[in-house]
Amino acid sequence: METVNFVLCGLGGQGVLFMTKILAETALSKGIKVMGAETHGMAQRGGSVISHLRLGEVQSSLVRSGTAHFLLALDENEAYRYLPFLGRKGRLYVNADPGLFPRQEVRPYIKDKGITYHCLPATKEAMHLGAPMASNLALVGFFSAFDEEPFSSGEIRETIERISPSRFRDLNLKVFDACHAIGRENMP
Amino acid sequence: MTSYPGTPSSEILPGAVKLIRSEGLNTYTEWSTNEKVALDNAFAAAIAGKRAACCMKQVGLNVAADSLMSAAYLGTVGALVIISCDDPGPHSSQTEQDSRLMARLAKVPVLDPSTPEEARQMAAFALDLSEQFKVPVVLRPAIRVCHARQNISWERLQNNETKAAFEKDPTHWAATPRFRFLLHKELNKKLADMSRMFDTLERFNFHDLEEGKRYALGIIAGGVPYAVVRDIFKEGDRHDIPVLKIGTPYPFPERLAEEFLSACQKVMVIEETDSVIEYFLRDKQKVLGRLSGHVPSEGELIPDVIYNVINRTLKELSLDPLAEDLDTSGAELVSSLELPVRRPTLCPGCPHRASFFSIRKARPKAIFTSDIGCYTLGLNLGGVDTCLDMGAAITMASGFYQAFAQDGADQPIIATIGDSTFYHSGTAGLLNAVYNDARFVLVILDNEITAMTGMQPTPGLGVRADGSKGRAISLEQVVRGCGVEFLEIVDPYDIKAMTRVVKKAAEYVSDPNGGIAVIIARHPCVIAYRDQAITERKELTVTEDCVECNLCIERFECPALYRDEKLGRTAINPVLCSGCGVCIDVCPKGAIVEVRKSDGNG
Repeated sequence: METVNFVLCGLGGQGVLFMTKILAETALSKGIKVMGAETHGMAQRGGSVISHLRLGEVQSSLVRSGTAHFLLALDENEAYRYLPFLGRKGRLYVNADPGLFPRQEVRPYIKDKGITYHCLPATKEAMHLGAPMASNLALVGFFSAFDEEPFSSGEIRETIERISPSRFRDLNLKVFDACHAIGRENMP
Repeated sequence: MTSYPGTPSSEILPGAVKLIRSEGLNTYTEWSTNEKVALDNAFAAAIAGKRAACCMKQVGLNVAADSLMSAAYLGTVGALVIISCDDPGPHSSQTEQDSRLMARLAKVPVLDPSTPEEARQMAAFALDLSEQFKVPVVLRPAIRVCHARQNISWERLQNNETKAAFEKDPTHWAATPRFRFLLHKELNKKLADMSRMFDTLERFNFHDLEEGKRYALGIIAGGVPYAVVRDIFKEGDRHDIPVLKIGTPYPFPERLAEEFLSACQKVMVIEETDSVIEYFLRDKQKVLGRLSGHVPSEGELIPDVIYNVINRTLKELSLDPLAEDLDTSGAELVSSLELPVRRPTLCPGCPHRASFFSIRKARPKAIFTSDIGCYTLGLNLGGVDTCLDMGAAITMASGFYQAFAQDGADQPIIATIGDSTFYHSGTAGLLNAVYNDARFVLVILDNEITAMTGMQPTPGLGVRADGSKGRAISLEQVVRGCGVEFLEIVDPYDIKAMTRVVKKAAEYVSDPNGGIAVIIARHPCVIAYRDQAITERKELTVTEDCVECNLCIERFECPALYRDEKLGRTAINPVLCSGCGVCIDVCPKGAIVEVRKSDGNG
């Protein structure tokens, strides 16, 4: 298969790494080779967190700027920070208010690069569902609705069911399902 | 297998413990108190005929250097592999030092993997190599190998059935300087033999030269940069530039490198973090790298950097450049947006935050020496003035004291050190300070875990690497054993009590009959011990009494506190708030209050 590059970002504590694990495990279960790089340690404490995930025959774990196919951002400002990773016609899934995203100054760049973006107020949705810490699951659920290659929403859901710690499993699936439904409504 | 945690090496030992369980292996594991202790322990196992490994971060190898240098001369009977993880960037370290140079200094072979899969293969090879040549071997994975995710597979793992045996030979194992000269000679012979072996070690050292063909440019790369170079050329469908991969930078595969160099007019060296391969290449006229200014001498060689370095060089040599120049418009856009700087901060509810607040409150003019751990982030709260290396909070405090005391100046000094760091290298400094009558307050921030590196147990906890029960060490007894007479234990969540104790300690320090005062600020880490750390979660709010002095935001710096533009005052983010309630005592106006249950949502 052609290489598919993901960049996932957010703030320390938002669950960027778990979000990455969900996608990586889903790819693995489909027999796709995965390679990725993550942030740990000092950099993780409340700071800007970025994670790279590459599917296919690659050797390096980092995505070069301008070559990511997908950017999943758990924070609006972090989405702007890592926007240069997206290549032409890249797709951005961001935890932001659809009415307010993107900032005016960013619009020409997004248009010029042919980037499509989809917004979900993931923190608000997760809180509304009684799971304030699960904005990562909310964004993954939303993302899954778009059936982006090589993932189907069913496959992602199965991974969440399999790898969630048992005490969070039901809540994780609830948030995933609800935000998947929002994504479906948003589909073009 | 022994280890002391440190980013990016901390996951190796827990990974091994998991594997030992799932594969039913008989492998001894331990979290050692520090890296030198870890290496000495592994070395003894290796000369008893076992296969031993020892894992640490690159600066940990500095601590273990004394052991490494000598072990290189003595050699092994079984196998000894030292895994030293490098941190180009640096992302979570005090230096960007290159473990390959430490291996060169110690005169032991070093292997430099490009991917996690290659690291796995090299780990197995390192054990064989160590056993064959009776020499310690260093495996040097950099952060992008350590904190990478890749699917790898392995064959069935088997127990090594060699029984421990030690054949006494004091002239060797306790060699005096006269015999050390002979051991050095033996080591040099081993290195020359290994260098020849590495010339034909095609698994890890290889190139794609076509026989008889001449090239305008070739690239020599090792470690993570090799993987990046490969991806760039594959993506660009470039086959005109040969690449020599060096997986064993020391001892250097001289002949293989000569063969490659002779086929190329120029050779570019791309390696991380320092120059090793570049120094070993003889014909410097041909070499483009750090010494020629083509490759940056600091920072991580991320794909963007390598792409630019190669592209610039191709243009300089009038060769076809890569497809297109790196687009900088995105980076320019981002810098124009003035995005908030996300500096790392202590977690909401972190007991260290409470400690630093009280320490500053009690003695604002003190010099605050500190150490390595989460609490280095106390610098955001003005509670950390220095951070040198493991244990330096104490040694620098005594150094500062003696420097000021010499001039008759009364300079208050307060040192902060974490529990794990204290066990690692605090005692030698404390013994020295007591013995030489230094005067300062030492606060041991005891959160009962090694938090920064991912919650490894400390000797104080009495839980071992595999989860089994060990003997818990009493921090109090260790401190008293160092000759300290003033010792108080306080819960830092109680800001009033903590401030009082710091003041009392400072008075004891300045009393002519006083001495060093030690405070153990004990409260469990909120991440490791969620329920014990905060037994009763408080729902908090900020009342209209808030005068926007911003003391809580600037001096307490809890991520849950923010300025609400709509309300025009400080507010609390309920998602981030841990409910610890410490901030109630921080506000000078008493504007942070607990919402009483009957008040509903306040």
